[in-house]
Amino acid sequence: MIEFKNTQIGYQQPLLFIDELNLNSGEIHVLIGANGKGKTTLLKSINGLQALVSGQIEIDHRLTSALNHKDLSNLVAFVSSKFEGIEHLKVYDFIALGRTPYTNLFGRLSSEDHIQIQHAINTLGIDYLSDKLTTEISDGERQLSAIARALAQETPIITLDEPTAFLDYANRVKVLSILKSLATNQHKCIVLSSHDIDICLEMNLPILYIDSSSNHLIKTNTASKSLLLQHCFGM
Amino acid sequence: MEKRHRILLIIALVLLPVLAYFHLTIGQIQLSSADFYNAFFNYSDSETGQLLVREFRLPRLIMAIVAGSSLAIAGMLMQTLFKNPLAGPYILGINSGASIAVALGTLSGISMFSSNIGLIGLALIGALVFGFIVLGFSLFVRNSLSLLLVGIMIGSFTSAITSLLQTISSADSLKVFTIWGMGSLQQVELSQIGIITVFFILGIFFSFFLIKPLNALVLGENASLLLGVPVKNLRIIIIVITALLAGLVTAFCGPIAFVGLAIPNLCKMLFKTQQHLVLLLGNILLGALFLISCDILVQGLEPFILVPINVITSIVGAPFVIFIILKRLA
Repeated sequence: MIEFKNTQIGYQQPLLFIDELNLNSGEIHVLIGANGKGKTTLLKSINGLQALVSGQIEIDHRLTSALNHKDLSNLVAFVSSKFEGIEHLKVYDFIALGRTPYTNLFGRLSSEDHIQIQHAINTLGIDYLSDKLTTEISDGERQLSAIARALAQETPIITLDEPTAFLDYANRVKVLSILKSLATNQHKCIVLSSHDIDICLEMNLPILYIDSSSNHLIKTNTASKSLLLQHCFGM
Repeated sequence: MEKRHRILLIIALVLLPVLAYFHLTIGQIQLSSADFYNAFFNYSDSETGQLLVREFRLPRLIMAIVAGSSLAIAGMLMQTLFKNPLAGPYILGINSGASIAVALGTLSGISMFSSNIGLIGLALIGALVFGFIVLGFSLFVRNSLSLLLVGIMIGSFTSAITSLLQTISSADSLKVFTIWGMGSLQQVELSQIGIITVFFILGIFFSFFLIKPLNALVLGENASLLLGVPVKNLRIIIIVITALLAGLVTAFCGPIAFVGLAIPNLCKMLFKTQQHLVLLLGNILLGALFLISCDILVQGLEPFILVPINVITSIVGAPFVIFIILKRLA
């Protein structure tokens, strides 16, 4: 689904090198690395918000450099680490904004749109939040709503920037297991960055780590905590 | 649309002709219903009553509706674009742009600039130029409070320049400009209503095409981009429509403060939604209702004192805006 070839990610100077890497549908990948090593920049590059220093990324066999935001909105959804909530915006209406790429010129929701919104709500188990305001629910509930919005966008790829950073332990486990089941059950390709090394290892999530000395992104299915601490954080 | 929204909008829609009726009939000279009927269907300009309806009362009512709605829509557009509830065409200096352009035109004494097309053209160009200046600043000034300060500074700077122009202009053009500067709905003539209505309807028409991107823009610029909204173009289109609406009003009524700031906030409080279809309709109706009410007050006070419309909108609007600020802090 996402193919990297000699990709250099960064701003003017490369931060992160990816020689060759394929991320497929039905897989979840957790991006682990020290602060400032390019996790967010990598996610921005996949979303077309940051140009590559060199090399290429292909999404669904199309170069990201040749895709505009309209094209990308049908391929990749993005969830940020914190959704603060917006005054007077109901959870249902917030999730409905995920349908923006599909609605007509005036943004009118069709019955198909309502079906997809409700499907996303049911998948996340947040039916009880639909009528609540995004400002009056908890951080955990807001994060689940944000994931539902990404799901309503019906993209094969969902990217998330530290989606568990502001959550308590129970909600961290909950969000990660929901993401894992989205990959398995709905064949999504999920890429998230996280600092929850312990939980991710415990859940056997495949890991992409940024080696702090070579600045290369390395894929591993058999990471151990000591290996990650040593290679990512030099501990 | 939710039922509650529909009910509120229908109430506003019903109130509009009621207030319009009061507005038409409150003047110092009592008019019969025959005067109103004949003014439309059987006009004779030798009848004072009919003349009054056609040349004064009706243009003034239409101008109240156009100005109220236009300023409210312009305010809504600015507030969503800049994600700032205190943004508005007046505070961000877009009205100032129209003002200084009109000042330069009127005070120059060149007759072309005092024609309808000349005046509206000047105001639109001035509003547009200042709109893009504010947009340019907004790309660097990310803090919303700082952006407001920049807007206020632009306003002060422009009014200083305008004062300077006044000191070197002729007595006649100074008088014209001073009256214009007080803000008034009754300077408009029947012959100008046609072009004003065309511009007004164009502004509203294009606003409806912004509903979808504005709804997304509530999530922020990057999030909108990722939903496929062409944010760069959107910013430019919003500024052009705002300039069109605010410039139109400023050209024919002079500066009218606080409508663009207070009404969009009132709509948010009343409708409690971020759906811009509801907010757009709400602003069109409430903007018109508000300015008609203010002008009824102006007319009611006329036997005792001549109050410019700008004074009324400020007396009502400024405390309301302070209330909004305090409410947000609480």
